[in-house]
Amino acid sequence: MIAVVAALAASPPAYAQWEGYPTPGIPRLPDGKPNLSAPLPRTPDGKPDLSGIWQSTRGAFNIAIGLKPGETVPFNAKGKAIFDERRDTNSKDDPSARCLPTGIPVRNQLNTPMKIIQIPGLTVFLYESRTTYRQILTDGRPLPKVDWPAWAGFSIGRWEGDTFVVETAGFNGKAWLDQAGHPSTSDLRLTERFTRRDFGHMDMEITIDDPNVYSRPWTIYGQFVLKADTELLEFICEENERDSQFMVGK
Amino acid sequence: MRPSLPIAACVACMSLFLFAPAAQAHHSFAAEFDSTKQVTLKGKITKVEWTNPHIYFYMDVLGADGKSSNWAIEAGAPNVLYRQGWRPDSLKIGDQVTVIGSRARNGMDLANAISVVLADGRCVLAGTSGPGGTATECAPNTGAPNAQGATAPRN
Repeated sequence: MIAVVAALAASPPAYAQWEGYPTPGIPRLPDGKPNLSAPLPRTPDGKPDLSGIWQSTRGAFNIAIGLKPGETVPFNAKGKAIFDERRDTNSKDDPSARCLPTGIPVRNQLNTPMKIIQIPGLTVFLYESRTTYRQILTDGRPLPKVDWPAWAGFSIGRWEGDTFVVETAGFNGKAWLDQAGHPSTSDLRLTERFTRRDFGHMDMEITIDDPNVYSRPWTIYGQFVLKADTELLEFICEENERDSQFMVGK
Repeated sequence: MRPSLPIAACVACMSLFLFAPAAQAHHSFAAEFDSTKQVTLKGKITKVEWTNPHIYFYMDVLGADGKSSNWAIEAGAPNVLYRQGWRPDSLKIGDQVTVIGSRARNGMDLANAISVVLADGRCVLAGTSGPGGTATECAPNTGAPNAQGATAPRN
């Protein structure tokens, strides 16, 4: 990273958009690099602090890559028909191609980072992609009654040991779970489990439960690496979206 | 003035991004572009749009028939390209460049770029989410990426 910063310094400014600006107060190795293997930080109540900028180790166009080896997506007949149609047309009708929201499973697994901010009573996910956010209420409230469902549903969170468990329901069913086209409906319930292993690494499991399109709940796995000395950038999808008009399919 | 792309340092710094996930479009590449219809375009840049969800640049390409046509070239998201060393002024109007990419299915003079050979001969990857997106470098002057054709694992 030093070579890149030095090269950038030759053309001012050195920290454009704060890229490369040293994150204060993080554990570092003798050479100045962030110590990703340092112990994970905890909040005063002893729980892991998930705050930080996180980058998924892979982008997941098709979230089935996160299945355990040998497992397959348990579509029911209706779910398979929807998925096959979307694949046969190369996802030309994906709402996210028109800058509408992505489903949560793929949103957590993009090649742009997200920032988690954990404060008492609330954990916020800021997604660089499309400059969106999610709020996860951790003040003990239950999932709400919903008569106006949302693209990203409504989320509550709690701790099970050192794992942060997020329950989400109240979806409007319009989002695709990924760009490949895994379907979801308004009966979707998601359970995400985040386990920060050490300063620089976090594991994620997502269990997808939607009996309208899948014959049973299924779980995918992912991992994140902490990104230090950087900042989220803006990403306004609508500013120059040109693809949807040309997405003819096949 | 040379583009402010720190490629001399970036040959080393590219390795810092090798762990990064293969570039992912905001859309399905395959619905719009045909990776079996690869084009190599040489021409002069006429316009640059450093925007989300994709950067675009336009170039006048001389065809075999001696006629010039203006092609629209789509590259990756600026957020991803920026972290790979691209800058908003990496491409300038008037730059002579070579683009290797996949043509639009609808036959328009529109392509999704895999690699771009800059005016000074250095090659940069364009952040495609299509085949070719798993390449880690491309050859100067020719633009040939070092790994293409294989379907990215996400498919």
